[in-house]
Amino acid sequence: MTLVSIAARNALRNKFRTIMTVLGIAIAVLAFVTLRTILHAWNVGLESAAKDRLATRAKVSFVIPLPKRYIDDVAAVPGVKIASYANYFGGQWPKDANQSLATMAAADNIFDIYPEMSVAPAALAQWKADKKGAIIGDVLAKRLGIHVGDNVVLTGTIYPGDWEFTVDGLYTAPEQSAVDHSTFYFHWDYLNDGAPPHQKGFIGLILTRVDDPSKSAAVSRAIDGIFDDRDVQTATMSERAMTNSFLGGITAVLDALDFISIVTLLIMMLILGNTVAMGVRERTAEYGVLRALGFDPWHVRTLIVAETLTVSLGAAVLGCAMAYPLLGAVGRWFEENMGQFFPTFRVTSVTLAVALALSVIVGGLASLIPALRAGRIQVTDALREIA
Amino acid sequence: MIPFAYNLRSLKVRKATTAAGALGLGLVVLVFALVMMMVNGVEGAMRRAADPRVAIVLRKGASGEMDSWIDEAGVSLVGAAPGVSHAVDGRAAAVVELVVSMLLDDPRGGQFNVTLRGVPEDVMTFRSTAAMVEGRPPRPGTDEAIIGQALRAKGLAVGGAIEMRKNRPMRIVGVFEDEGSAFESEIWGDTNVIRGTFGRQGIVSSVRVRLDSPGDFDRFKASVESNRQLNVAAMRDSEFYEKASRGTALFLSAMGFLIAAFLSIAAIIGAMITMHATVAQRRREIGTLRALGFSRREILASFLLESIVLALMGGATGTAVALLASLKRVTIINLSTWSDLSFKFEPTPRILVTAIVIAGVMGILGGLFPAIRAARVHPIQAMRGG
Repeated sequence: MTLVSIAARNALRNKFRTIMTVLGIAIAVLAFVTLRTILHAWNVGLESAAKDRLATRAKVSFVIPLPKRYIDDVAAVPGVKIASYANYFGGQWPKDANQSLATMAAADNIFDIYPEMSVAPAALAQWKADKKGAIIGDVLAKRLGIHVGDNVVLTGTIYPGDWEFTVDGLYTAPEQSAVDHSTFYFHWDYLNDGAPPHQKGFIGLILTRVDDPSKSAAVSRAIDGIFDDRDVQTATMSERAMTNSFLGGITAVLDALDFISIVTLLIMMLILGNTVAMGVRERTAEYGVLRALGFDPWHVRTLIVAETLTVSLGAAVLGCAMAYPLLGAVGRWFEENMGQFFPTFRVTSVTLAVALALSVIVGGLASLIPALRAGRIQVTDALREIA
Repeated sequence: MIPFAYNLRSLKVRKATTAAGALGLGLVVLVFALVMMMVNGVEGAMRRAADPRVAIVLRKGASGEMDSWIDEAGVSLVGAAPGVSHAVDGRAAAVVELVVSMLLDDPRGGQFNVTLRGVPEDVMTFRSTAAMVEGRPPRPGTDEAIIGQALRAKGLAVGGAIEMRKNRPMRIVGVFEDEGSAFESEIWGDTNVIRGTFGRQGIVSSVRVRLDSPGDFDRFKASVESNRQLNVAAMRDSEFYEKASRGTALFLSAMGFLIAAFLSIAAIIGAMITMHATVAQRRREIGTLRALGFSRREILASFLLESIVLALMGGATGTAVALLASLKRVTIINLSTWSDLSFKFEPTPRILVTAIVIAGVMGILGGLFPAIRAARVHPIQAMRGG
């Protein structure tokens, strides 16, 4: 029997304390994994984003629309395979004003920009022929209880009035893709016909796919170059950069989450350190006996450190095991309801590995002081405690 | 009742354990307090922008100033509505503004959205809390602009410029403050200049009017909303800002409290471990106390009290550290304008008390089971060392 395996068994001596410690640390690990997963989903959630997709907006502000004729100039840029456009419509769902809707008035070829969105060919053909038609994400349809063929009325927020639509079909997308599953697409022409005079003839965003993703930067520069001397200058960027240009201000929240994840580690360390210290104090006499029998201080130290690592690693494994199903459920909710920001919300193996590694480090640090102290115990002092 | 000094002494004897248990709880209280102060800071910045005697008129259905538009004809109709206060020269006490968002480069890297407000010349008369702190007010009809003082942190300063269109910069000529309100995160410039760049000729975003008295609001509202041509909605300024801060405040509190609740479970378990060990070590003492005639209930109360004291010590530490954060200014996305909003962590007596109460509750939850165990100790067995 090795020293380390004895140490591991030692952990079970005070069962109540060990179980509570494992539980407490497991919950802290769970919190840590949750925080890191949110941060990860935000920062690299779009690693799977299409590299050949670019978005063009007005440089100065997202509230400045682009003249419709810009689309023809962009389509003519060498290297641009397809150019499409869309306006953010927003709109309120009359049955529940709190539902946030990603409603876009788009060109007919919008689904060519997003090949990962699949629409039944018949539904797509019907939509193209239907002036008031709409194609909506399958997740949104489920959330709002809409079926194909339904008539839907949305109240405009940016574009005044009540707008009537017929849902011609649903689109689906693979789970791991970067596209939102909850967007509501309808015809830009329908919007333009019904918009008040000062809102006519404008497009919000130009979306393009390029022939060669490695030339994206050059194509972006070429597009912005065309409009440099026009009324409205443009900024062309990747999809991800576009999202960040809307939500840059969220960084404070991300920083806060970062900070709290460190607090979580500190709480882990305190719980663990406390448990170790208590164990060491109770066993001072034992360590004295071990030393009297001829064991070295480092034997005693190994015992303590190994016991702590067993507990912290066990707790971390438990925490990760809890995180997986829980964040699976939470992640689905995020993907369904906040798909624009978190298209994929999953626990990654890297996050879990980091959590395990950190719990080992925390365990080592927590046992450091008690272990050093226990090694320094004078045999005579320790034995005196028995008497 | 067992003397309180017994508990204090016992906490003191186990210094390290006490400190570890209390600190664990303190960290959780810190997180709770920071979240509450953050939410209050956001709401406070918006609340201070509101004026109790002012009503705001927006397009019906608009979610805020950004997506609202009113034409010139509408503006004069609003000014003529009953209840609107008038200056000596007979002009309506109103401020007509155009609100847009614009993307600027952050000197620390990346970009940020800022609210750009086209204001009339006499805006500081209408908003009497706003005052220049550097430079001078912009000359009307020019491309001069002033910035809220929170934007200094974003690298904007007097003498600098904001590129509106190619070769058409707005020049910054002054800095203003407004008691820490949301306006301090904005850039104010000439309405017509902004209109040109943003293609908003002939329209504005909002009209604010000062009423003769707050009681005139209902009359004013009924008058402007009954005009179908106008198609606008009137709100008290305070209600408008309360609604505008709701999204961000809700987002922050939902996220913050969820995480803090998680952490509190871990910290409660930490306190439980500490208290449990205390009880185990003191079995003999407890047995003696029971033999001396103290009841089970008194033992339970004593240990529960000890746990609460432990938690309150942690709570006080956590709250004190949280107070230090109130010295710092932070920026966050304002979900009603999509622009950055600068605010401070704002403590209130209520938040501090709540933080301490949370600590106490965690102490009760963590101490209850160990205290019950202590109360169940059999005096004879315990004194015998069993």
